[in-house]
Amino acid sequence: MATLRRFRAMDMFHFNNINLDQYTDTYDLSFYLTYLSKWPDLFNAAESADSTLMGYIMSKVEGTNDEWHGHVTALTVAPECRRLGLGRRLMQGLENASEKTYDCFFVDLFVRPSNQVAIEMYRELGYTLYRQVVDYYIADGVLPMENAHDMRKALARDVDKKSIVPVKMFVTPAETHFW
Amino acid sequence: MSFLLATSGKLDEAAEMGREVLDTAGSLKDPHVVRGLSLAFRALALSKEELAVYSGSLEFSPDDLNLHVKVFMVASFHQMYKEQHKAAVNISRLSKQDLHMWWVVASLMLESKFCKQSSQEKQIQLDLAKRMSEKALEEGKLKTTEELRLYLDVLEMQEAYPQMVDVLAAEGPLATKIGDDPDLVSKRIVLLVKTEAYDEAIKAATDALNVRENWIDYKNYVAATVGKLKLSPADNKQNANSIVESACSAIDQWAHIRGRARGAKLALVELKSSILASGHAALASDAARLLGEQIWLYVDEFSSKAICYKDIMNYFVAHITNPATNDVVQERVRFHSEQLQKRIGLVRESADLSEDKAQSWVNLEKIRYLLQALSNDCSPEAWVSGVDELLKYGIESVQAQKKQTPCSDMTLIAGQRLMQAAFLAFSEPSKRTELCASLFNVLCVLEAGIKLNANSFLLKLYAIRIYLYLSCYDRARALYDSLNINNLQHDTLGFLIAGQGIHLGCSINDLETCYDGVNFYDRSKWKVPRELESVYKNETYSNLLDYIEFHDNLVHSFQRECTHRYALRGEALEAGSQKSIIEKWGQADVISIDHTDETLSALHDNRDIGVISLLTPASMDKWNLEKLTRATPLPCASWVLINTLVPQIMHYIVASDIEQVEAKVKKLLATAEEAGDSLSIYEHRFARGIGQVAMLYIRASDGKQSFSDQLTDLSATILDGLVAEPNDKCNAETLSEMALETIRNVSTATEIYTYAVTVRFALNEQRSPSAKAVSLSLSQLRKAALQRMSALRSLTNSYMRNAIDEHWSSHDIELFMPAATFMRNKRKHIVDSVAKSCFSGWSRSVKSLVAQWEQWS
Repeated sequence: MATLRRFRAMDMFHFNNINLDQYTDTYDLSFYLTYLSKWPDLFNAAESADSTLMGYIMSKVEGTNDEWHGHVTALTVAPECRRLGLGRRLMQGLENASEKTYDCFFVDLFVRPSNQVAIEMYRELGYTLYRQVVDYYIADGVLPMENAHDMRKALARDVDKKSIVPVKMFVTPAETHFW
Repeated sequence: MSFLLATSGKLDEAAEMGREVLDTAGSLKDPHVVRGLSLAFRALALSKEELAVYSGSLEFSPDDLNLHVKVFMVASFHQMYKEQHKAAVNISRLSKQDLHMWWVVASLMLESKFCKQSSQEKQIQLDLAKRMSEKALEEGKLKTTEELRLYLDVLEMQEAYPQMVDVLAAEGPLATKIGDDPDLVSKRIVLLVKTEAYDEAIKAATDALNVRENWIDYKNYVAATVGKLKLSPADNKQNANSIVESACSAIDQWAHIRGRARGAKLALVELKSSILASGHAALASDAARLLGEQIWLYVDEFSSKAICYKDIMNYFVAHITNPATNDVVQERVRFHSEQLQKRIGLVRESADLSEDKAQSWVNLEKIRYLLQALSNDCSPEAWVSGVDELLKYGIESVQAQKKQTPCSDMTLIAGQRLMQAAFLAFSEPSKRTELCASLFNVLCVLEAGIKLNANSFLLKLYAIRIYLYLSCYDRARALYDSLNINNLQHDTLGFLIAGQGIHLGCSINDLETCYDGVNFYDRSKWKVPRELESVYKNETYSNLLDYIEFHDNLVHSFQRECTHRYALRGEALEAGSQKSIIEKWGQADVISIDHTDETLSALHDNRDIGVISLLTPASMDKWNLEKLTRATPLPCASWVLINTLVPQIMHYIVASDIEQVEAKVKKLLATAEEAGDSLSIYEHRFARGIGQVAMLYIRASDGKQSFSDQLTDLSATILDGLVAEPNDKCNAETLSEMALETIRNVSTATEIYTYAVTVRFALNEQRSPSAKAVSLSLSQLRKAALQRMSALRSLTNSYMRNAIDEHWSSHDIELFMPAATFMRNKRKHIVDSVAKSCFSGWSRSVKSLVAQWEQWS
């Protein structure tokens, strides 16, 4: 059973049960701290009944005008805490904040095409493939180089769902930056 | 120029030049000077000087808001809270912006929390911060939840809980924001429970749970219910039952909402557990029975979830343990064992049907493990019972070939059972041959699991532990590297491997690990303080206390000290000429690494020991596999102190400062003696050896006193650590000696000799009349050591590989027969590969140690 709460810097001393999983990277401290400093309400953790971390979501808001959106930077759940709907709950938290607090047009995320379990979950949550980012994921010795699926879900503000209609199906990583 | 000098390592010159500029009248008028000088002082970590640059420049531009902000940020960076507060007040006066008013509140809070001052002064600061926040709230200037959180932090420091409740009940636009923030909603419920407003807490938790599921809200709902129960008359059973029934009925309603059954059902367990713990007289007669039943209702419904055991384990412990005496209530253990027996057979038989069924079996196996430990079952036979079935499913089944998760779990449980049985059966020194053979068997099981599921870090963590236990560094290191340890994990997980290379003759690999760690600490030193600037600019004040605590833990990290000391030990083992060694120790900065009792007690233990997951409470030492599998005790404060004193002693030897050498040696020996069992026998020997090295120097440098006793003592300590006359044929005993003692003994002896060589060089350099005699004795000692090392190498290369096959791979310990036979019959290649890993690990260690001795020609 999980308590959803804000992630804290102190959690980084205890997130190894999540981050030792081969698909989860442990980034430089500044990366986590920047997210906490800028978007503390969009960096959330799930904690178990015995106070161990079960998973977390790092996200942010970015873009301008009708590209103003919520973006999932990392979503990860400890191996033994999977199949409990935690990923969904963490995603719903982001969607709520993106809609109610930040008034965004959509939420987007990048996912490896090989990660079919994750893609299925996102589809069930209403995300659709918007475009592919060519060679986005670099081979890291464990996983190969892959394109990224850029998946999007329109929020209430995007009444006509324009944000999920792709302009171009294949883009380079540089073309995905929101300055 | 000062900045350039600072960044090029010329620190003293940089500081001197910087201070000169700072003292030069009018120099701070120039913004370029201000910028350059502040950068120089920051690079030099001279906080007061850095602050003085901006404070000084304010004399020329007293109304420059940017300069005041600089002062504020510099003070924040260096945690100079008084100065930060003064700057905040100045900024607020100048700017009149709401934003800067909150900077004043934040700095008051920090000053009150962290500055050394009287409690009265602290209270005044908090009161002021509170009044400012109150006023902002009244005037509608408290607009964001971040400002609200800051206000709540101030109130919390004053323990003003009722007022915190009032603030969280705010109306208007803020109320909507609070309602949308689950943390704040839950915080209000916690506060209502804390202030014993139980009915309100129940209502608030009910409202929250009607909207969304959150365990903390269930927990507080239960806490409020039990709080209310405690207030009800002890003799009024009807009233008590009505309170409980009302809670059960509400929780039941949530259980019927799609996807929420698990949380609600666990809340019922929590409720029954809390009622039992409350000892309420009216409900006491049934409380234990009801909790027991509720636990099994939960297990029956959710055992197919991997998380089930983690959810329920603490409730088993709470149910079985008498809170008053901490004793185990055997009757309850029997109840649970009966319940388990009713289920486990059926589940085991149906495990092939689906992954869910297999997961249920895993959870029941975990419960079986826990109940055995809680009932203090010390029978090794009972612990290995059923392991063959776990192995069959975990390694050999169709599901295992499909790499299903429960199979990995099953293999891990089998490994844990075998480890537990081995330590129970063979922990006496006379049974170490059996212990080693059993642990070899455990390794085969763990490696078979890793082969099937290379992603299982738990299997790898246990395998690392056992390889190191058996002195096999190479494979442990390879597994550690495969975990892709990065950044902060050097601090939290470095303890798994750091230092083991030094203890096992592989100091070069260890140095790499330590340097990675040291680099991380150096890179990270200022990252958090720099980020504080962002917190103020982004107005995300909720991070303040968290960041400061994080920074403090990182800067005063225990593992940081260990990594640094291991790096020093590794460097001490590096070969070099007399000149380079004398230079190394002569120039070593041994002042900055010094420790006092105060600094030692301020260290934070960030080592994430909990990542080595246990199936029993960590407090049960006899069943705590993380502790049992430690090859040597984890470094403690005494260890840090001893490893601080060793380089200091060597420095003062090279500097010919006898008085300091004597003082440090005295402290070293006293620390080692006081440390007792918290240090390994190798660390004790190391400390003793360094003491003897130092005593030899003290006597030999005198030139008038005999030092033959000191030489004899030192030689004896070193030669004791080397294998005297290895058997020309390896038997099971030699094998276990190799695994448990030999390499660690030889490594320690080699390390002590390395320090003795430094004494020889120091005496030479100091033209001591005793230098020649010491040099001659050490040469003879080295000759004897080389003979022994050569014999050890020959023994290792000629016999060890076959001996492992003979005594470990094919051992016939009855207790381990089923598991060993299974592995030999089904996974012979894994058994061979583990044998090879053990052999090549030892061979590599011995080879490196021989090279270490050879280098001092």
